[in-house]
Amino acid sequence: MSTREMANPAPPLLELKGVAKQYGHVQALSAADFTIGRNEIVGLLGDNGAGKSTLVKIMSGVEFPDSGQIFRDGRPVSIRSRKDSERLGIETIYQDSALVGSASIMRNFFAGRELTKAFGLLDTGRMNDIVMDQLVNVVRISGINSPDIPVEALSGGQRQAVAIARAVYFKTAMLLLDEPTSALSVRETDKLLAHLGELKQEGVSAVFITHNLYHAYERCDRFTILSRGKVIRNLTKAETSVSELNDIIVKY
Amino acid sequence: MTDIATDTTASSPRRRLRRWMREPIANILLLFVILQLICIAAALLYPDEFRYLSATNVGLLMKAIPILGIISLGIGILMITGEYDLSVGSVYTLSGYVTAIVFSAGYPVFVAIGCAIVAGIAIGVINGLITVRAVIPSFITTMGSMLVVRGIVRWLSEFGSVSFRPPAEFAAIFTGSVLGVEAPFLWFIGLAVLAWLLLHRSKLGNHMFLVGGNERTATAVGIASKRIKVIAFALSGFAAALAGIISISRVGTATPAQGVGLELRAIAVCVIGGLALSGGRGTVLGIVIGACLLYMVEDVLLLLRAPGFYLDVFVGAILVVAVIINTWMTRRSSK
Repeated sequence: MSTREMANPAPPLLELKGVAKQYGHVQALSAADFTIGRNEIVGLLGDNGAGKSTLVKIMSGVEFPDSGQIFRDGRPVSIRSRKDSERLGIETIYQDSALVGSASIMRNFFAGRELTKAFGLLDTGRMNDIVMDQLVNVVRISGINSPDIPVEALSGGQRQAVAIARAVYFKTAMLLLDEPTSALSVRETDKLLAHLGELKQEGVSAVFITHNLYHAYERCDRFTILSRGKVIRNLTKAETSVSELNDIIVKY
Repeated sequence: MTDIATDTTASSPRRRLRRWMREPIANILLLFVILQLICIAAALLYPDEFRYLSATNVGLLMKAIPILGIISLGIGILMITGEYDLSVGSVYTLSGYVTAIVFSAGYPVFVAIGCAIVAGIAIGVINGLITVRAVIPSFITTMGSMLVVRGIVRWLSEFGSVSFRPPAEFAAIFTGSVLGVEAPFLWFIGLAVLAWLLLHRSKLGNHMFLVGGNERTATAVGIASKRIKVIAFALSGFAAALAGIISISRVGTATPAQGVGLELRAIAVCVIGGLALSGGRGTVLGIVIGACLLYMVEDVLLLLRAPGFYLDVFVGAILVVAVIINTWMTRRSSK
């Protein structure tokens, strides 16, 4: 890991140093270091309870670490809320893709970042146009013909696509995907993985949490493996294989 | 992008209508229009036996609907954020008392109604803060405040009955009429338009729907869900206080038992109007139609000289049937 950093003079997109988090008596994370560079997809691997989700929660501002430092482009930052992480260009896509089922696509797309006209009134026309443009031209999903459809009427893959389109539109620098494929069909998973590749081309980095090592190996440039709250290995794709990753996770 | 735009405009009105027809509000509106047509037809056929269209009856309806309607608008906004307010009946009564007592003490009428509104908003904010800070169900918080406020009203009523005789110019604001339309009804329509702008067209309203639909997700996208809920509680208290002022301006006296049961009737109005009990779904049009429908049914039964107990039976039956239809339609439209 240190050689990689020395070879790369630009500071990483996001760097966590010595981050620790304790829930009651459970040490969810202890002195964990994590780095993600620009145009990089990092797989965050580990068995249940390894601390993957805690790490994602800390980066997204849902949880605040007990100790440790976070750097964005080399500058120290503090992520205390979802608003903070949003300002730093970090967007989280949860298993349920962070959308409100009863609300329409457009209202989810612009949730918390609505475009308004005078008096705080919504500019629905402009928002509808932007949503349809993003869905059709950026993530290229079919079957959605109106921004007014409630999200609960969409398939799992369509929901992910809406969340990804939102991330692209709001110029996210880094996506956090917590088990994004667990509820998806095989075809939808393929599409999601393809999207991640396209997003990388557009300069969006991603942290990808999954139990499926084949998915991880296919898309990730680098792997960080956690076990019982500690970072145990950092490997690039070139220096490892699916079976080796599997062995590491099982052994610890 | 241009060809998509033309594509959506070409097909969207019909598609939008079809989607809208599957919303709960479409059924309630349809039911309301059909009932309305039947009543009007019956009134035209038998003008002497069924006085539905008589000026007295229409005027009575326009005075009766707004009180419950305005309370329902407030509670409806709150229900969309996923919370309840059982204290509105008590706040409504308290508001009348505060208005009458402050005015009788010699203060100007606008100070009196100002005090009543501030009291209503304050109770709403307290309800909200307790609910979101202590993380307890609003059902319990507001059941508590319902009893506390009712107790305060009883205590106030021990100092003798209160009456409110405001100057005629002021009374006209709440009791007059414009071109045959009663002032309370105009207030109701005006407030409904404001509520529509708030809920369906403003940023704050969008946040209310998102918080009610899924609070965790709303918080995750950076919406201050607790603040949104406290604002909704405050609006509920405000609406109840305003209804109390309109009521005492018309009736002139306040009694402690006035508002008892209003909270459940207001929730019934919202539910008939298609608001989901779980939050996140509902329309202002639904609340307005719900309020009109409830009074229309009561009014028709009264005009038919049905015994009093029929009222409760019918309202109860309509409530359950409306929820069954709404649940069924929501399930279908989400498929």
